[in-house]
Amino acid sequence: MFSNHQWPTRRRLFTVFIMLMLCLLNTRDSEGKVARDQLGRTVSVPDHPVRIVSLAPSITEIVFALGEGNRLKGVTQHCDFPAEARALPQVGSYVHLDLERIVALKPDLCIAVRDGNPRHVVDKLEELGIPVYAVDPRNLDTAVNTVLELGQLLGATPRAEALADSMRSRIERVKMSAARADQRPRVFFQIGIAPIVSAGDNTVIHELITMAGGNNLAAGSLPYPRFSREQVVALRPEVLIITSMTKEQDLDQVRNAWQQYDSLPAVRNGRIFVVDANLFDRPTPRLIDGLETLAAIIHPELF
Amino acid sequence: MKTALAIKDLTHGYGRQPVVNGVTFSISEGEFFIIIGPNGSGKTTLVRAISGAIKPQTGQVQILGRPLQTFSRKGLARNIALVPQAAPADVPFTVADVVLMGRSPHLNLLAIEKQEDLELAERAMAFTHVRHLAQRRLDQLSAGERQRVLIARAICQQPRIMVLDEPTAPLDLAHQVHIMDLLERLRTEENITIVMVSHDLNLAAMYADRLLLLKDGILISLGQPSEVLTFETLERAYGCVLLVDENPVKKVPRVTLVPNSILSARFREAEAGCSEK
Amino acid sequence: MPATTSLAQPVLRRILTVSLLMGSLLILSAFLGVSIGSTDHSLSRVLALLFSLTDADPTLSSIVWRIRLPRVLLAALVGSTLSLGGLVFQALLRNPLAEPYILGVSGGSAVGAIAGILLGLSPFPGVAFLAFAGSMATLFLVLVIASARAAMKKDTLILAGVMVNAFCSSVIMFLISLTQDSRLHNILFWLMGDLSMSDTNRTLFLLIALLPCFASLFLLARPMNVLLMGEEMAANMGVNVRVMSVALLLVTSFMVSAVVCQAGLLGFVGLVVPHLLRLLLGPDHRVLIPACILGGASYLVLCDLLARSLPAQGEMPVGVITAMLGAPLFIILLQRSRR
Repeated sequence: MFSNHQWPTRRRLFTVFIMLMLCLLNTRDSEGKVARDQLGRTVSVPDHPVRIVSLAPSITEIVFALGEGNRLKGVTQHCDFPAEARALPQVGSYVHLDLERIVALKPDLCIAVRDGNPRHVVDKLEELGIPVYAVDPRNLDTAVNTVLELGQLLGATPRAEALADSMRSRIERVKMSAARADQRPRVFFQIGIAPIVSAGDNTVIHELITMAGGNNLAAGSLPYPRFSREQVVALRPEVLIITSMTKEQDLDQVRNAWQQYDSLPAVRNGRIFVVDANLFDRPTPRLIDGLETLAAIIHPELF
Repeated sequence: MKTALAIKDLTHGYGRQPVVNGVTFSISEGEFFIIIGPNGSGKTTLVRAISGAIKPQTGQVQILGRPLQTFSRKGLARNIALVPQAAPADVPFTVADVVLMGRSPHLNLLAIEKQEDLELAERAMAFTHVRHLAQRRLDQLSAGERQRVLIARAICQQPRIMVLDEPTAPLDLAHQVHIMDLLERLRTEENITIVMVSHDLNLAAMYADRLLLLKDGILISLGQPSEVLTFETLERAYGCVLLVDENPVKKVPRVTLVPNSILSARFREAEAGCSEK
Repeated sequence: MPATTSLAQPVLRRILTVSLLMGSLLILSAFLGVSIGSTDHSLSRVLALLFSLTDADPTLSSIVWRIRLPRVLLAALVGSTLSLGGLVFQALLRNPLAEPYILGVSGGSAVGAIAGILLGLSPFPGVAFLAFAGSMATLFLVLVIASARAAMKKDTLILAGVMVNAFCSSVIMFLISLTQDSRLHNILFWLMGDLSMSDTNRTLFLLIALLPCFASLFLLARPMNVLLMGEEMAANMGVNVRVMSVALLLVTSFMVSAVVCQAGLLGFVGLVVPHLLRLLLGPDHRVLIPACILGGASYLVLCDLLARSLPAQGEMPVGVITAMLGAPLFIILLQRSRR
């Protein structure tokens, strides 16, 4: 009896207690397997989960990339890639999940991310007998591992390994080309419009810039430092990259605003670029697209 | 006759200067006692000390033979009721509600009125002729009606002593007489001791058994109206000349204001008369 | 008016009638609250589940008993407390704009909660505890400021509360400006008031803390009435005004803090519900207190129901709904009471 989310009427409280105890005892040796997720939690997951709810856009992308999108029964509001994901039922935004919608989808597995998904929702889901597997990809390496782990979790190991291999080889190719560069251009990566925020050490963006042969001007102990316009001008970036989380029109304005500072090498040489934010803030196979985009921007002569 | 209130050497002040300074007197049960005096003479402070609203700096207040501080708040409220000078006008309650509030010191923890409480309130309202206003809100009444409601509330408290701070001040003559007659009836029918502050010397003379005249916190005179309301005492207290003669209705003093213009004209005539001689 | 009806209906009967009516409203709201949610289930199935007529679908049973019910209970408790808090402060401070947060409770608890979120503490007990500690600290500060002058004047209290709250807002803004990652969302949801973190244990915990507060406030209902007659008259009717005021302040702030640390800052509940009920039922606190407890509970349960079920893609913080409904409702009430 693996009836984890059974909850009989209040009148049978005692029975409930007994059943809960049985459930607790049973989960260990019943069907399914015990997995250790990236937070070190032990999660009992079914052997072949078929009703998966993804709690973050990156998870949705990976599951689709593994060719298992048909097993996704629910996604979050911002899960917009691939296009098929938009047709799936939504369970709120990844920072403010709607517990009831998740439970109503009767998932046999939820996949969460550590950074963003509220811990109390995860706890509550587990309390309701829904296993939650949490991932915590923080850089390229763990992103590749996440693909492999989810592959294993979904029983799609061959596909995952192929995907991971291709990611690794594309990374290697960028690394090798970047090694041939004779200098590292000064790169300023602007996330958002106001305030000016960039990415420092211990961020994927920093890792990608460095790997693509650039010198990240925002490097420093703060993960997401804030800059004034003046500071950016003083840093004299040779390449200015702006992510597009906002509308086209706003981006044009930002680009034009920078154009007036012609002391900036990036302005003089026309090296202001707008890139798709989703290629940089989601630890998925598309990160490699982001890496290649950056490499082409920073070292156009090599790529 | 038993003593209702005994005040001994009472001194109280808000700054360095005492507002009431070493006042000693006592009031008998069933007495109609009126405190008079010019503005700022400490009348209100005195009645607030008597009713327990403030704790005097020095001196003692005894109520029915017991020191005031030995009473519990509710116990005190069952013996002495206060009708303050400035009753709030924006009270959202109905007349019946307000009058019933007088039962507060008699109620237990749950504070639900019993039938007898309702009857007492009815009687109090009938006594002050506000029964027909029972369901009106206090802030919809005229000043005279409101004062009668507040007295009904005080009656409902079933006190032995009722302290009133200028209850007639905002009222026209008819209402003044009405209120004063009401208090007189309370005194004679219910044997409630009445202590009140008044600015109106003639009204005080008409109703009071005894008067107390205060100036700058000091007791200037205490006694029957005829003893207190004399030309010399009044001039000393108020610092102006007042004509005192006998009231044609009742054998009590009558005080008349003398405008300065008449006073100086008379003074000149007198001077002229003198020089002619 | 005939002489026999010159006195109002006996108060006990009024209390019982009003409690019965408001209680039925609460039961109805709670029933709607567990029956409707962000996912569609037919009413007949929910009914069958509620009265355990059939063996229930485990998913529906989970949703109704373990997601919706704790949330309805939490909403009810929070709504009661905030309405009652508003009622008490409006009477005590004799200010129609007084709301439960007026004495610095909101600012203090927000600073505490945000500090907790930034330190990465769990919502319960970590963040909740810091929020509670923060509100108690500001309350203490306000009382110290206000009693620095010999007599504790209500205007001084209000001013001290407003100033401490303003200072806390600046600290909040400062903390928010330092925050960039996803914790910002947690902070914002907390500031908007959010019931999604409901949990049976925490709700029971809250209930145990609140019931004595409700009971003691009900016992103080008559002195509160008397207090409306002015402090001097209240004192003459046997009420220890100073002790009463401090007791009311402490009990109310305690219960509001207990609620705020669980649900964040929910605006307007404490303003709209007491005013509405006062308009309907008159000024007697012996009637208003039970009415506010039950009516405030219903109001927030219904608001939360809207917050959960209106948006197509996922719920919104209930604070958005209470403010959106509350502000226009308050204006209408103001117009009505002017007339």
